[in-house]
Amino acid sequence: MTLRSAGRLETAPFKLALPVSIWIATLLLVGAVLVALVGPELYGLDPLAQNLRQRNSPPSVKYLLGTDHLGRDIMTRLITGLRMSLLVAVLALAVAAGVGVVLGLAASAASGITSRVFFGFVDLLRAMPGVLLALVLVAALGSGIGPVALAVGLTFAPTFALVAREAYHRERALPYVAAIAACGAKPMRIAFSHLLPNIIGSIVTQTAIIFPRCIVTESVMSFLGLGAAPDSATWGRMIAQASRFFETNPTAVMAPTLALAGLTLCVALIGNEARRRLDPIQRHLAR
Amino acid sequence: MSRTAIFGALAVLGRSVLLVIGITIIVFILLRIVPGDIVELLASEGGFSTGQMEQLRQELGLDRSWPEQLLIWSVNALCGDFGVSLRFQRPISEMIWSAMPATLQLGALSFVIGMSLGISTALAAAIWPRSPWRAVVEALNVWSVALPTFCVGFAFILIFVLWLRWMPLLGNLWLPVLVLGIDIAGQIAKPLLEDIEEARQSAYVRTAQAKGVSHRVIILRHVLPNALPSLLALTGLVLGGLAGGTVTMEVLFGHNGLGRLTLDSVLGRDYTVTQATVIIIAATVVLANGLVAMIGKLLDPGREKMV
Repeated sequence: MTLRSAGRLETAPFKLALPVSIWIATLLLVGAVLVALVGPELYGLDPLAQNLRQRNSPPSVKYLLGTDHLGRDIMTRLITGLRMSLLVAVLALAVAAGVGVVLGLAASAASGITSRVFFGFVDLLRAMPGVLLALVLVAALGSGIGPVALAVGLTFAPTFALVAREAYHRERALPYVAAIAACGAKPMRIAFSHLLPNIIGSIVTQTAIIFPRCIVTESVMSFLGLGAAPDSATWGRMIAQASRFFETNPTAVMAPTLALAGLTLCVALIGNEARRRLDPIQRHLAR
Repeated sequence: MSRTAIFGALAVLGRSVLLVIGITIIVFILLRIVPGDIVELLASEGGFSTGQMEQLRQELGLDRSWPEQLLIWSVNALCGDFGVSLRFQRPISEMIWSAMPATLQLGALSFVIGMSLGISTALAAAIWPRSPWRAVVEALNVWSVALPTFCVGFAFILIFVLWLRWMPLLGNLWLPVLVLGIDIAGQIAKPLLEDIEEARQSAYVRTAQAKGVSHRVIILRHVLPNALPSLLALTGLVLGGLAGGTVTMEVLFGHNGLGRLTLDSVLGRDYTVTQATVIIIAATVVLANGLVAMIGKLLDPGREKMV
């Protein structure tokens, strides 16, 4: 905590000497993003096409990872599932960061009773177990990509609100804020045009921490049968469906499970490293 | 025990009660903005007439205003009556009573095992700084952040049930406990180790070193008690995560617990059940956290940063 006393938060000089694991994770993540962007079109098979004569078939030349219980190509579903996972996670992250930061900053700047009520509400949401909150939100908002992204996003928004508040109070003590206030700027203007650019670092760090959680929460939701549309290929749903046949066809479960674990592992490693490098004082806030 | 400590503890308890009330209101509202009326949904499935719909609405009390409904529900709930399941026409309290033991057993065992595992690895890493224990703490941390519990659950099922054939799948208790326990250990080991290392910089540690107290005794007798409040604060996150983890584990391993009941009610649009189970689970977590925070206050009334 001694870092705070220096006025502006001083970060260690940025060294590019990243550990090997981070390099590998970054490469894999970039690869995953590329595959999600162009993979489904390049690979060219229909993720919903069923070949009922070839149900639960083992990996072959035609079906690289075999087929599932309806004779659908697992490799194709894996690739479209990747697109779905990343899409929902990115949307959820945007909702969480957008709603959390904007409301958190506005409430902090408003101070007084508004701020108290708002952060009381934030405390309330944070006191609820995350998966339960997401469950209730999905129940209220319905399923589909949009509602699920919204539900997952709103689950993580309170964390961003707290980060925004902490960053706000850290910055407000600095002389430049007093200078702008002396020029007659209103609190909201100070918060959004002057403070926001300076606290973007904390927010980006928090995004890196929350992103893997968004991916995991989305997959848990679709594993539980609450994800995007019932027949679309998401990893969680693939795992749930294939789990009924895993004695006859273990590949169908293992492929999406390993893919999911690999993706979250990469993202989490990068997030951890970002946190360690950029913002050592936030560790107790992350959830 | 000083008066401030007792007042502080009571304030913490009061805050938890307020949180429970707030959560009840939020869940109540969320489940009432559900697209479409529950009665209309049931009617479209069961082919009711308009008259029957009105009657059903009256039976469920849905013709009253929201605050009235909330008040009636809360009073009944405090007396242990959570209404009737729309789908199964059974008293919800009965369903909850039969589901509760499985969840409590799973949750309590995972909590105890996870906490002991996490605390002991963090301590081992602190006592022997240049040992592989540090790497174990790091690995546990990455494990719990990166690997969703249901993925780990599947991996364990593949290994222990299908390949090694050591145990059956359905109703298995020890595999989910292991999965959740490792997850919890990963959540607490690293923050605890970081706290211990922060405390090692303190003046009292230097004093103890100057007196010639051994490294191990410094960690166990001087640093650990000072890290206790932050450990108590960490249990808050652990309990919240556990409530979610039990849902997936119950689904995976076929336990008929509260999490399973909640999920089935959401999937089956049995909202009176969802409302009851979600509020009960959330209230349990909040009150357990309040209790933990209260203990923290009583141990250390000066500490302000308690959650």
